[in-house]
Amino acid sequence: MVGTDDAVQPPVTPGGVRGRRQRPLPRLADPDAPLLVVENLRTYFTLSSGIVKAVDGVSFELHDGEALGIAGESGCGKTTTALSLLRLLPANAKVVSGSVKLFGIDLATKSENALRRYRWREISVIFQGAMNALNPVRRVGDQVAEPIIERLGVPKAEANRRARELLELVGIARDRAADYPHQLSGGMRQRAMIAMALACDPAIVIGDEPTTALDVMVQAQILELLERLREQLGLSLILITHDLSVIAETCDRVMVMYAGRVAEEGPVRTVFSGPRHPYTQMLLAAIPNLDSDKRLLGTIPGSPPDLRTPPPGCRFHPRCPLAMDVCREVVPEEVRYADGVRVACHLYPPGGDGARRPIPIVEVTGADAAPAGDFTPASAGELAR
Amino acid sequence: MSARYLARQSAQAIFTIFMIVLLNFVLFRMMPGSPDRVNPRNPNVTIEQRQAALARWGLDKPLIPDQLVAFVSSTLQGDLGYSMKFQGQPVTQVIGDRFGPTILLIGLAELIAIFLGLGLGAWTGWRRGGLADRIGNGLSLILYSMPYFVIGMPLIIIFAAGLGWFPTSGMLTPGATYAGPADFLGDLLSHLALPLATISLGLIGGYSILMRSSITETRAEDYIATARAKGLPDGKILRSHAIPNALLPAVTLVAINLGYVVGGAITAEIVFNWPGLGTLTVDALNSRDYPVLQGIFLLLGVSVVLANFVADIVYGYLDPRVRQ
Amino acid sequence: MSAVAVTPVDLRGARWRLRLRNAREFARRFARRKDGVVGAVILLLFAVLALAPQLFVGPLQTVTTATGATLDPPSVAHLLGTDEVGRDMLNLTVHGARVSMVIGLLATLITILLGAMIGIVSGFVGGRTDQVLMRLTDFFLVLPTFVLAIVLAPIILDIVGTDAELFGIRATLLVIIVVIGLTSWASMARIIRSQTLSVKERMFVDRARVIGGSRAHIMRRHILPNVVNLIVANTVLTFAGAIFTETTLSFIGLGDPFQPSWGQLLNAAQQAGAPGLGAWWYIVPPAVCVVVVILAFTLVGNALDDVLNPKSATR
Repeated sequence: MVGTDDAVQPPVTPGGVRGRRQRPLPRLADPDAPLLVVENLRTYFTLSSGIVKAVDGVSFELHDGEALGIAGESGCGKTTTALSLLRLLPANAKVVSGSVKLFGIDLATKSENALRRYRWREISVIFQGAMNALNPVRRVGDQVAEPIIERLGVPKAEANRRARELLELVGIARDRAADYPHQLSGGMRQRAMIAMALACDPAIVIGDEPTTALDVMVQAQILELLERLREQLGLSLILITHDLSVIAETCDRVMVMYAGRVAEEGPVRTVFSGPRHPYTQMLLAAIPNLDSDKRLLGTIPGSPPDLRTPPPGCRFHPRCPLAMDVCREVVPEEVRYADGVRVACHLYPPGGDGARRPIPIVEVTGADAAPAGDFTPASAGELAR
Repeated sequence: MSARYLARQSAQAIFTIFMIVLLNFVLFRMMPGSPDRVNPRNPNVTIEQRQAALARWGLDKPLIPDQLVAFVSSTLQGDLGYSMKFQGQPVTQVIGDRFGPTILLIGLAELIAIFLGLGLGAWTGWRRGGLADRIGNGLSLILYSMPYFVIGMPLIIIFAAGLGWFPTSGMLTPGATYAGPADFLGDLLSHLALPLATISLGLIGGYSILMRSSITETRAEDYIATARAKGLPDGKILRSHAIPNALLPAVTLVAINLGYVVGGAITAEIVFNWPGLGTLTVDALNSRDYPVLQGIFLLLGVSVVLANFVADIVYGYLDPRVRQ
Repeated sequence: MSAVAVTPVDLRGARWRLRLRNAREFARRFARRKDGVVGAVILLLFAVLALAPQLFVGPLQTVTTATGATLDPPSVAHLLGTDEVGRDMLNLTVHGARVSMVIGLLATLITILLGAMIGIVSGFVGGRTDQVLMRLTDFFLVLPTFVLAIVLAPIILDIVGTDAELFGIRATLLVIIVVIGLTSWASMARIIRSQTLSVKERMFVDRARVIGGSRAHIMRRHILPNVVNLIVANTVLTFAGAIFTETTLSFIGLGDPFQPSWGQLLNAAQQAGAPGLGAWWYIVPPAVCVVVVILAFTLVGNALDDVLNPKSATR
């Protein structure tokens, strides 16, 4: 299901959008360009108390048929990054620079009206907490059919038929299309959101914490559904979550963000079995696991920085156990390695060998904490089966 | 809509109406003056009317329960007593004569205000900020602070006394004869214009503020973000998603307001000398015509209860979450 | 464990310092609401006028002391013209401020007292008392209060007699005050009750009960301070409503021609046929004053509500 090895070539599930779609690509699309290339995206929020640099120089690529997971703590900018692609931001936020190239078309330079045409037709969103993301006074089937009617110009009867098909695809019985959102369970509402997101057969689906608000059993069902859809339809997915196990299960590549910047990015297997960036290592160490190394640190000390006045240099340096002097002053450069991983950390300078620098483990026994070895995420590697 | 819900609301409404009738009884027993509520010195009052009044109030019997029962039963039968001022006419007739003009005025004003007021509120609430919003909101606040007569009197000064476009008072030109229905309608409309404008403006102020705050709250909901993400144009989001939800609390308040508006428009009728329930109330007040006042009080009380009842039903119809 | 000397903590002083700090914080946040500030300034102006109108325009002119010709438009001698018996409109309007504001104030006081009392008792005591009181409140909410006021006023007047006087306020105006209070307390009671209910849930009330505070003590010392914020914001809005209602009741004819409020002035204008005659100076001054004062109260009330009872911010 997930790519079979961690070679540099990103795994392309057969077809991707170019394979499966009947509708042509957007008029301005370059058929040879990669699906999505984001370069140096910066999104700032203007508050009365200052400017919050929520996304400050984020770059990544998404290839056709691939699933990218964006991970990080709350407030690290993962949701803002995803919403910035389509500029679905609140009034006080603005994409100040960077490019967002979908099939080579730079969405960042488009006007609001021009950009609107790409929403949902090419990139759709599954919002967190579908309880409120669905209009309570309209029937579920209508809401799934709405983008088909409005954005694809399909006549009502046909759109309704397609809507019912989509609901069936996600595991909701056809006759429930006439129900209102409050008549569906939480899991079913989330499925309905997924059906709605697929309505226009978009090139990319963004899932913003699609399982966070659900209980564990339903969470598993939704993830299973997403995996099945990816396989069946060759869906390209951007999955945002703070839960690394979800990413391990469904994604091909993972991008770890911290305080508005990319810490590390690469194939899931590679990153999870051999994390380079100290932050990634600490994130993985924080996952509870029955077989894990009992000497692992449980938490990351300190708290995320105030993005109105972020720390100079590497933003993680105040909490990093391996911080050096240079980290306090110079923003680390992104370096790409042969195994497909990209890191931004002074421990991995350009021209270096890229060997892992594990963070020291503090053994937590009794009143005194003593260093007891280095972090080897043997257990974390089990995540990326 | 479940039958149980309907039954429960109906029962509450009936109970409240009963309480209002009771209050009527209490209030008017407190009145000084002739207890048989029919002015004995009025030469036009017939023996039959006086006897009917006696039967209505049961004055020759003990207060409770007999007088109470007599009062309640005669009220329920539609006997509201006789007017003291209008030469012994039954109250129901006196009120009935004035009912039409008031309904005409208020009804049209409500229709106008609902469309313009809710519409203005939705529009300014959706486009927060900007000059249009501030002006619209400011005007609404000012209108909301103005009693109807404060709106009406300047209108008369400017448009009737000043520019002479409209007559200064009344519903029809006194002593006029009409060539045909169009002629009649023209006269009516020219008299209707200013009072209608007065009440409409007053209502628009309130409804606009109401809808604006409702839309502002709705705007922040998640499903609006979903609609934006779907790439729907702004106007479509407002019409298909925001307004149906924002209308819910607004409709309830508008429906409830319908019950009060008749009472509230009293001052507007006075300013324009409009022959409706408002001027009747003031006349009755000045001449201490208690039976008529009583009748109006009952009428308005019942209309408020009914308005509340209708509001509940309409809300239940509009909001699917309540329907079970 | 070593013995520790107990230093007496200055509780009362600490409490006052806290109050001072809260007051300063409040003033700062209120100052940010420009509309509220404008409203407050306007109200201050009118309060000054209402306190001592003689200082500004001399004693109230009566029919016998009228200084001008009848229904004269504004001139140098009479800046706002004269009424139908020749009294100076400026004089009448400024004195009208006093009557309108005083009636509004007294009516509001009755409304708050009744509403807060019933609301707090109902919310705190709960049970049957609560049910009965709420039934009563709901009933009053449903009544067409304006018409009720019109109906009650002559009844009370006839009972009390038109010449009765209290604190220099004559019967008709007293009746208006009482009637406004009687018919407006219900919505205040509802709001206070629900706030009382939520305060009741909190822990410290239980602790006070455990310590053995009587119910009255708890209501006064614990519930009331937390409800005060809500009362204050609503009081201002109630004041606006009271002036609105008084003006309307006076306009209908329940006012006092010897102590004319703005509503009474407008009633007199209507009776004199001023609108039809185009005598705008008779109508505009009291009308503008009414609107401006009600508007000012509304602005201040809304600003207070925002500052004192911040609602959770929406996304």
